[in-house]
Amino acid sequence: MPVFNLCLKIFRRNWLAVFIYVAIFVAISVTIAITSVHDQSSGNGFTQQKAKIAFISEEKTPLTEGFRQELAKHADFVSIPDSKEQLQDALFFRQVTYVLRIPKGFTKNILDGGTMQIEKTIVPESVENAYIDIDVQQYWNLARLYVRHDPGLTQEQLTERLRQNLDGDTPVRMNVHEHAKTKDSFSMYYFNFLSYALSAILIMGISTVMIVFNKQDLRRRIFCSPSSPLKVNLQIILADLLFAAVALVALVGFCFLLDAKSFTTPNMPYFLVNAVAFTACITSLSFLVGNLLNNLSAMSGVCNILTLGPSFISGVFVPQEFLNDTVLKIASFTPTYWYVQANTKIAKLTDFDWQNLRPVFTSTLILLTFTAAFAALSLVVGKRKRLME
Amino acid sequence: MIHVKNLVKRYGELVALDHLSLDVREGEIFGLLGPNGSGKSTAINCILSLLSFDKGEVEIFGKTMAPDAYDLKRKIGVVMQNVAVFEELTVYENIDYFCGLYIRNREERRHLVEEAIHFVELDDFRKFYPKKLSGGLLRRLNIACGIAHKPKLIFLDEPTVAVDPQSRNKILEGIERLNEQGVTIVYTSHYMEEVEQICSRIVIMDKGRVIASGTKEELKAMITLGEKITVEVFSINEEQLSQLRTLPGIVSVEHIDRQLYIKSGKGSNNLEIVLDFLKKRQIGFGRIYSELPTLNDVFLEITGKQLRD
Repeated sequence: MPVFNLCLKIFRRNWLAVFIYVAIFVAISVTIAITSVHDQSSGNGFTQQKAKIAFISEEKTPLTEGFRQELAKHADFVSIPDSKEQLQDALFFRQVTYVLRIPKGFTKNILDGGTMQIEKTIVPESVENAYIDIDVQQYWNLARLYVRHDPGLTQEQLTERLRQNLDGDTPVRMNVHEHAKTKDSFSMYYFNFLSYALSAILIMGISTVMIVFNKQDLRRRIFCSPSSPLKVNLQIILADLLFAAVALVALVGFCFLLDAKSFTTPNMPYFLVNAVAFTACITSLSFLVGNLLNNLSAMSGVCNILTLGPSFISGVFVPQEFLNDTVLKIASFTPTYWYVQANTKIAKLTDFDWQNLRPVFTSTLILLTFTAAFAALSLVVGKRKRLME
Repeated sequence: MIHVKNLVKRYGELVALDHLSLDVREGEIFGLLGPNGSGKSTAINCILSLLSFDKGEVEIFGKTMAPDAYDLKRKIGVVMQNVAVFEELTVYENIDYFCGLYIRNREERRHLVEEAIHFVELDDFRKFYPKKLSGGLLRRLNIACGIAHKPKLIFLDEPTVAVDPQSRNKILEGIERLNEQGVTIVYTSHYMEEVEQICSRIVIMDKGRVIASGTKEELKAMITLGEKITVEVFSINEEQLSQLRTLPGIVSVEHIDRQLYIKSGKGSNNLEIVLDFLKKRQIGFGRIYSELPTLNDVFLEITGKQLRD
């Protein structure tokens, strides 16, 4: 297969141009991988945040002491002298986010069924303060409830009852499906970004071969030989497909090296199927580019436009949710948009039923439609070009 | 070996080949001579089935030539007018590739490629890429790619265009050597000197038609011009020029920049008559040249225009 071998030689001769794209891709992927791993480690599980609190009690009763112990579960007490200025400074410099003051006579007021309130000063919009509010409300409302229904209780008894009642700990388990690990994961970013690298590599490689073989003099010279045009074209197509397959396998291989764990998720086969469909589409597009272009000098510019343009507007570099509707509408005319959309959906998949898979398959089907359209256009352009010669 | 009958090729209104008929015999160097645009390359492309034609028939080795006549194509070598080599391959790889389209056996091919490289004297450039080769070397590579598989019939379409005289001589010598080895050659050119030098039979084309054919001697015999005499004269007046034009055997006389350009008919003593005339009129003269007619003169007399118009 001399034509096939020649195609492989041409690929090898152009390895440097292709390698630049691979190198950039791998460098960015490694950066994403490192960031992604760091983010994931900090996001696993649930731990309740503790608020820094200045606890000032103007009286010391068993009930207030019990409250202090209860509060200690969800707050770190910071010792601040009881002066208005110092407390305000502590809040301003975020030494504490909550200043809680139990006024004198508060315990008696509670036991008498009164409605006296605990005084609080907080840093606005401090999320962890919500826990303190809940604790305050819970403790003292419960105390009021016991007092109302059992007026004979001593402070010690009441404190003990409250302690027992509030002692129950509710463990929080993140009930997230194992499969959704791919959401916002490295593999999703990698497969999205893969579209840019793969497009660049395939267009550079395949179009170059097509342009070389489309030179009128060379084609005529080849057709003077006993090789049939069908055989010649089949060998070129075979070599191009091999190149596309090797490029895809190599890029997916990098993903395996950087994040082998993601290959154990049930989402991965769908990522791979989507990547194969996208590869087919870009291979087809490369044939078209190869048939449209006449010289190699224009190659680099066309390649950049065809790879960077759709990548920017389709959510490869910036997630689709950050792009406005008009941009996305324009992007929907590019295969990259559908590829990224399918990836995003695959990454979120937890249940692999038809209802969830349907949008993924729709996107893949659109990619295959693009493939067929590019291939048909490529054939028409190629034939027209030859007739014009 | 090649039989072309009534070949017609039209590009819309333009008739590129107008009932072209020719026969090429085995073992000859057949020259297709004509100015640019006369239809030489179109004829070659039609004969090789690279172009479809509107009418006519082409037979090579006694069989009808067609795009899928692969058994015929196997025996044919083609050297295109434009250099058709791969920029991505070295000299050796290019020849090996084109040879590989005909010869599958790797060992046999290696031998043939070496032979072709040696034949076109590119031994020192085998690892060079085409970009690094001069125009002449590139033409030689183009030829090597066309002949490496040892074809019985070779088409050379203007293989010396834009080539320096040294490379041109090497190419022409090579073609003669191939012919000596028994290869039939169809050679197209608009350089009449080349065609005259190497071709055993010549067809002169113009506007897609054959206007004359035969050996160079036969072609020259077709015209009335016998000799072209150029004389450097120091002073001659109009009356003397008129008298010169009336001398027997003289066809035309032109006086440009102290040079007399005299064309005479066929005869044995035309130069003597002219010199006698000049001596008798005491017209001083310097250098004298006498030339036999060229193929350009043949073309000029038949078409009324120069070959390189």
